[in-house]
Order: sequence, then C-alpha cells, then structure tokens
Amino acid sequence: MNQFFAALVLIVAGGFLSLVCARQQTFSKGIAVLLISAGCLWGLVYAMTQLLGAHNHFTTFQYLNIFALTCKIDGLSAFFLVVIFMVCLLAAIYSFHYMGHSLSPVKDAANYFFFGLLIASMALVVTAANMITFMLSWEIMSLSSFFLVIYNYHLPENRRAGYLYFVFSHVGAMFIFAGFGIIYKYTGNFGFGAMTALPETAKVWAFFLFFVGFGSKAGMFPFHVWLPHAHPAAPSHISAVMSGVMIKTGIYGILRIYMLLDLPAPVFGYFVVAAGVVSGILGVVYALGQTDIKRLLAYSSVENIGIILIGMGMGMVGVSSHNPLMAVLGFSGAVFHVLNHAMFKSLLFMGAGMVLHKTGTRSIDALGGLLKSMKITGMAFIIGSLAICGLPPFNGFAGEFFIYMGSFKGIGLDQAPFAMSIVAIVSLAVIGGLALACFTRVVGIVFQGEPRTKAAQNVKETGSTMLFSMGMLAAGCIIIGIFPRFFFTMCLTAVSALNLGYARIPVTPFELMTGHITFAAFVFLLVVLVVAGVRSFFYRNKPVFRSGTWGCGFTQPTVKMQYTGSSYAFDIIGFFRPAAPLTEYHPPVTGRFPQKTHYKSHVADIAERHMDSAVVRPVLYLFDKLRWIQHGDIHLYIGYILLAIILLLFFI
Amino acid sequence: MIDSILLWLTAILTAPFFSAVILKVKAFFAGKKGPPLLINYYTLIKLFKKGSVYSTSTTVMFKLGPVVSCATALTVLLFLPIAGHNPVFSFNGDVILILYLMGLGRFFTIAAAMDTASPFEGMGAAREAYFPIICEAAMFMILIFFFRMTGELSLSAYFSGTGSLALWQLAGAPLLFIVIAFFIILLTENSRVPVDDPATHLELTMIHEVMVLDHSGPDFALIELGSFCKLFFYAAITTQLMLPLDAGIPGLGLVVFFAGLIIVYMVVGAVESAIARYRMDKVPQFVLISFALAFFATIITLELIT
Repeated sequence: MNQFFAALVLIVAGGFLSLVCARQQTFSKGIAVLLISAGCLWGLVYAMTQLLGAHNHFTTFQYLNIFALTCKIDGLSAFFLVVIFMVCLLAAIYSFHYMGHSLSPVKDAANYFFFGLLIASMALVVTAANMITFMLSWEIMSLSSFFLVIYNYHLPENRRAGYLYFVFSHVGAMFIFAGFGIIYKYTGNFGFGAMTALPETAKVWAFFLFFVGFGSKAGMFPFHVWLPHAHPAAPSHISAVMSGVMIKTGIYGILRIYMLLDLPAPVFGYFVVAAGVVSGILGVVYALGQTDIKRLLAYSSVENIGIILIGMGMGMVGVSSHNPLMAVLGFSGAVFHVLNHAMFKSLLFMGAGMVLHKTGTRSIDALGGLLKSMKITGMAFIIGSLAICGLPPFNGFAGEFFIYMGSFKGIGLDQAPFAMSIVAIVSLAVIGGLALACFTRVVGIVFQGEPRTKAAQNVKETGSTMLFSMGMLAAGCIIIGIFPRFFFTMCLTAVSALNLGYARIPVTPFELMTGHITFAAFVFLLVVLVVAGVRSFFYRNKPVFRSGTWGCGFTQPTVKMQYTGSSYAFDIIGFFRPAAPLTEYHPPVTGRFPQKTHYKSHVADIAERHMDSAVVRPVLYLFDKLRWIQHGDIHLYIGYILLAIILLLFFI
Repeated sequence: MIDSILLWLTAILTAPFFSAVILKVKAFFAGKKGPPLLINYYTLIKLFKKGSVYSTSTTVMFKLGPVVSCATALTVLLFLPIAGHNPVFSFNGDVILILYLMGLGRFFTIAAAMDTASPFEGMGAAREAYFPIICEAAMFMILIFFFRMTGELSLSAYFSGTGSLALWQLAGAPLLFIVIAFFIILLTENSRVPVDDPATHLELTMIHEVMVLDHSGPDFALIELGSFCKLFFYAAITTQLMLPLDAGIPGLGLVVFFAGLIIVYMVVGAVESAIARYRMDKVPQFVLISFALAFFATIITLELIT
C-alpha cells in the first residue's frame, strides 16, 4: 500500500514541479511527463501484482482527529487501478509532443498540475473505503477535470462547456451525497460496511440516488449532456483520459454500491439494462449525426457506457434469477468492456488529437485522404475503429462476446428475465451495426478519399511520443483481441471481489471461451494469409496501373463531389427520426440563374433540447420567486445563519 | 474431419455454379437462352488472368478490402455444417463470431469503397452500412429462437445430424416463419432483388455493385468469389432449414442437400424475375418484416416449451 501512495505522490509532485518551474517551458513539460509517467508505471506494476495475487490491503489515516481517511485495495479496485494507470501513462507520454505550443507556459504547467491531481484522485476514488475519503477524492476529481476542460478558456464555447460540466458533476455529486446520507442515517458511521443491514425501501432509494449520481458521471442517457461539450473542449490527451477512464469511475461506483448494498431484487437489473439500452442506441445514433470528430467520439462513449450497463444489468438479472454463469458472464463482460473501451477510446481520441493538431480542424467534412499522409495515425485509428465496432479479432469483440454469452443464458429463463435478455441481445446487435456505420463514416470521410479542403492537404504526422502512445494502444487492442485469456482472468478476479455469493469462480469454463476466441482469430488470420498469398500469386508479373477513379462517365470530378459525413448518415438518422430530430436550413434555389446557396443540417439531442424546458426553466422560475431572500442586508444574513443553527439544534 | 474439409472445398468450388442458376432462371423468365451454367467460372478465370488499374486516390485499404471480405466468407463457411455433416470447426458461440466476421467483411468492403473518393461508391457504402443494421437485429432474433429451442449457440447444434429434424418436430409452425425471415435476410445480405439489383445499369440505384466499381483483375475476382460463398452460406442454411436431413445414408443426404440448394437458388431467381426492386426508403420496412416474423416465432415458442 505504501508503494501505491508513493506512486500517487510522484504523480502529484510531477504536476506541482511543472507549475513551480513553469517559466522554463520545455523543462517544466519534461519533468511533468517524466514524473507522471514514472508514477503511473509504478502504480500500474503495483496494481497488477495486487490483481494477480488477489491480495486485499487496508490503510487508514486520521485526518484532524475527526475523520478517518481509509483506503482499501481489493480485486475490483486493483482492476480499475490497472485501467487508470495504463491509460494515464500513455496519455502522459502522448502529451509531451501534443502540448507546449501555446503562448502561455503557465497555462500548460497548470494543465499538468491538474492532470496529476486528476490521476491521483481517480486512483483514490477506486480505492476509497469510507464515505469521507470517497467524496473527498470524487470532488477533487471533478474539480481538477473541470480545470482541464477549460484549458482553452479564451473560447466562449469552452467556458460554456466547462460550466455545463461543473453543474452536471456537482448535481451528480449531490445525488451521491444524498445516497450516502440515507445510508449514514441507518448505519450511523462513515464506513462502507454494514450497508446490507439497511431496510429494503432505504436500499431502493439509495440505489436510485447513486445510480443517477454515478450515471451522470458515466455519461448515461439522459445525464450525458455535458459529455459531448466537455470532451471536445479539453486537450486531446485529457479527452482520452476523461472518456477512457474518468467516466468509468461512475461504472465503478455503481458496481461498488451494488456490491455493498447486496440487492437481490430483479428490478434493479431490469432498470440497469433498460438504461444501458437507451444509452447505447441513442449514443451511437447521435454519434452518427455529429460532424465534429471529438463530439462524435464523446457520443460514442455514451454508447459504450450503454454496452457496459447492459452487461452489468444482465449480471444483476443473473444474480436475481440464481443463474451463476449468467451473472459472472454479464459482470465480467462489462468489466472487460471497461478495459477494452479505455484502450480503444483513448486510442481514437489520440488519433483525433493528432488530426486536430496537424490540420487545425475537428470538422469531419473538411478533412479527407489523411491515410495517405498520416500512415501510422491512420492505421492506428482504423484499428481503434475496428475494435470499437466489436469486430473480431480485436478486443471489442472479446468483450461483447461475453456479454452476448451472458445475455443468451437469460433466454433460457422465463417471463421478465427472458424479455430483458431479448431486449439486451437485439439492442447489442443494433448497436453493433450502428457503430459500424458510425466508424466506417469517420474512417471513410476523414482518412480516405481526397482532401476536401486546404486544411487536409500537405499534412505530416510528427511527434514520436504521440505515435508511440497510439502504437502501444493499437497493439494492445490486437493482443487482447487474439489472446483475451490473461486479461479475462483479470476481469474474473475483479468480479469475484463483488462477493456475488459464489464461493469461488471456476476459471475453466471461461478459459474454454477465451480459447475459442483465440482459436477463431488464428483460423481467420490463417485464411486471410492464404487469400493474400493467392492474391499476390495472381499479381506476379501483371501489369498494374494507376489512374483516376472511375467517374461513371463524368470526366470533371472535383473533391467537393465526394460523399460527405452528413449525407452518409442521413438515411440512418432518418430511421431514428423521433429520437434524433434533424433540422435542415437551406434557402431555396430561385430564378433562372440561381445565386450561390448553402445547406446546413443539425441533429439535435433530445435530452439537450428538453433539458432547457424541463429542468432549466422550472429551476430558474423557482429561484426567481425566491429572489427576495437575497436582499443584500448583512444583518438579515447573520439572522439567517442563527436561524439555521437553531433549527438544526432541533434535529440533532 | 476429412469429409468436413472436403465438403468445405466443395462448397467453395461449387458456389459460383449455383449463382449461375439464378441467371439461368432469370433468363428463362425473360424468354432468353441465358448464359451458360459455368459462366461464373469463366468470369473468375478471366479476372484472375488480368492485371489491375488502381485509382490514384486509393490506399492500402483498397487492396485489403477484397482480401478480408473474401477471407471472412471462407472462414464463415468453415463453421457451416453442410448436408448434415459436422462443420470443420465448431464451438459454443460460433454463431456470434460468424455474424461479427461478416461485419468485419462489410467494414472492409465499405472502407475500400470510401477509399476511391467516388460519390457513387460513397452512396453505395452508406446503404451497405444502413440495411444490415436491421438484418443483424433480425439475425439475432433468429438466434434467440434457435437458442430457445436447442439451448446451444453453434450452427452445428442446429443443422448437423438430426438437428433440424428435431427442430421441426418441436416447433414446425414457428419454424416456417423463421424460414421466410431467413430468406428475406438472404435477399438483403446478398444484395438481391428486391433490395438491390445486381444487374442494373444505373450506378445510382445499386448498393453492392457500385461499391466494387473500381476494383479490377484478381482483386475483383476475390470479391466475386467472396460474394458467391456468402450466398452459398445463406442458401445452405435455408436448405437445411427446409429439408430436415436424415443422415442415415450419407450419399442420399448429399443428393437431397444439393437438390434443395438448387431449389433455393431457383426461388431467388424466380423472386428476382417476379418483382421489381423496392424504392430505397421502402427497403427497411421489407427487412423489418423479417425481424417481426422471427420475433413472433420466438413468442410462439414460449407456449410450446415451458
């Protein structure tokens, strides 16, 4: 445990030193990257040994002699620590060449300072073993990421994104506080134990409060509204960390609370599956409608959180219907997808960051043909896209395979679990298809074809640390996809920490499944090799020419004629019209010699659209009516304080 | 194992022949003589002999597309039980792998099409990305039906030996729904009329054919071979659904299977001759019928199996 804290101290010290010597820009950046990545590596190694040894560690500090700050590492914590440290390590390395182009060195140094704090606080969130420690690190996490989001604070839209994020994370934290409040009322201490003793109704209330609170952090529909604003605003390595790891602390929270509350009623499982289905499908539909590449990736995170929730929900259904195999498959599939999503989503954000860095635009329809000039980035991005679509032999498939297997176990059941399993399976299939459409669109429009504007012409990929991070993640996606066994065993260790009531999870049946994935990957790769061999055999000594694309008889094609991202997604968005209303603006063409015209379309997010009328306006109206309390008279304010204390004395 | 591999090779080698049956049936309905039954072999040989022209817009993805899409079709056939025999490979959950492998093939076909910077190919790619979403939902609905009936997740459990006969005895009526649903998926996934017209002359109205416009030579041959194998895969499943084979006499089983296969291809040809291609925005409704049928079939089995 001391090693763990030493690693955290190293990480925070890296950020702090960067701030201290901010004037020497390169040194400040270098020391930050060096110390943060060294700390992450140390933490990663430590968490890995804990996970493989399945040890439990427990440490308590006394704070001000009032509160005890307690940390505990069990299998679940260790698993999330591995994910956090791994992604943060690569993100820190990536940032070395990504950062340092701004004119204000203090701004960069502050960025590293908050980055260090964010990593340390995330690590503390997943190890916290009482309410005080948890909320303390949760708040540090929210605040440090808030400062990271407003890195480019001179842009008004970034300030707005930061504000939105701030409001969402604190309203979410309020729900979590309320949940802990209910628990404290019954247990009378700040510890995480003894929650099982709560009465049923209290458990239900607490669970739903936590679900909303953690769900808003995880980016679950309809609490995801902050996500597509905050992720594009932050620098790309921060988006990678936020989307790949930070939102997973919400998932961790739900898992931990589920474990602590010990909820056998089936309704929780159904609720989680339903939330997952809605997040999953709508997330990817909105992702299809985006023209900003980072916003698109942010919506795709909503989708993947949906997949994780479906897995967890099926696990809960398995627990409540006494089907151990289904429970373990559901939970471990979800946890596995946490790891996989952390890898490919941070890879994709890093790829998007490279594109943004070199072309200066995030707009998909302004790009094109980047694969020719950015080979490594392009291939890494394509690998990430294949993985996120859940296609074999990449890691996304391995994760979804287990969730499918778990959901199919539910088909053998009756009534409600059966119906939920059908919903889960069909939604997973639809999500898979939509994700494929979404990411072929990104790859096809951004990296293939011809450059659509000047921004995408003559770009070069530079920055070896950026390429290194992307290469490592892409390699990881392939390795996990082909050899999932080791990584899945890690997930099983994490799940066994959930205390599902099965004494020991046998490893053999799951090794059989991972073995099948490895086997199938090998068969497929062998066939690919054979076909490629046949192809090159037939191309021996053959005339091969290069010429223009066949224009179906049209001889004057321009790059503007290429299919755009909006037209690619048009039909699919149309299918989901009620949930994704499309607004188009284009002045009609008039006269015999029409003037220039334009076309603009926008896919609205219904949660965002209705948030204003359903939440913001009523709240504003209410507080407008209460404005008379705020009169500016200091005497009365002191009176309020006295009144509040006297009122509180009645209750304590 | 040996006979499974032999059957796998037979499937790959005969797939082009069966596709020519469709052409022959269409020619019959049109009152024409039609191309010879071996036409597809001639085409493949011709293409393999040629060189290629690559667009200056293309990258390595354009060359990977045909290889991967052909390899996925061949891999998928490895898991397919043919004429009631065991497939070459089989494991619990292989159907999920098969469906996702086909997705992989689709990804690469689309990527190869987007590589050319042609607006027509982009249009085809957008449609190729759209319709299979609903197909996939319908396929998983059919899988749910099969899982409900057998408790297994592998093609060999459904179709090897007396698998499909047992299915008919257990739930004959809902299985009829499944046959129709599966046939609709066959038409959609293999870009046949009424979803897509492989013989049309206007690029605007095509889906699959327009995506491979720029491919030539051996690359194009691989694409063609892949699509023949894919059609064989779907047709073989339909055949084995319709003709529950008794594997008692091995020779007879094979004859019945291939006769059934020809019938399925002839029905495809007849459908193509009898109806026109739907307007593009009607296609999703057509595919949704398949989902609805599979869904109702599953609901009916709730009564049959308790």
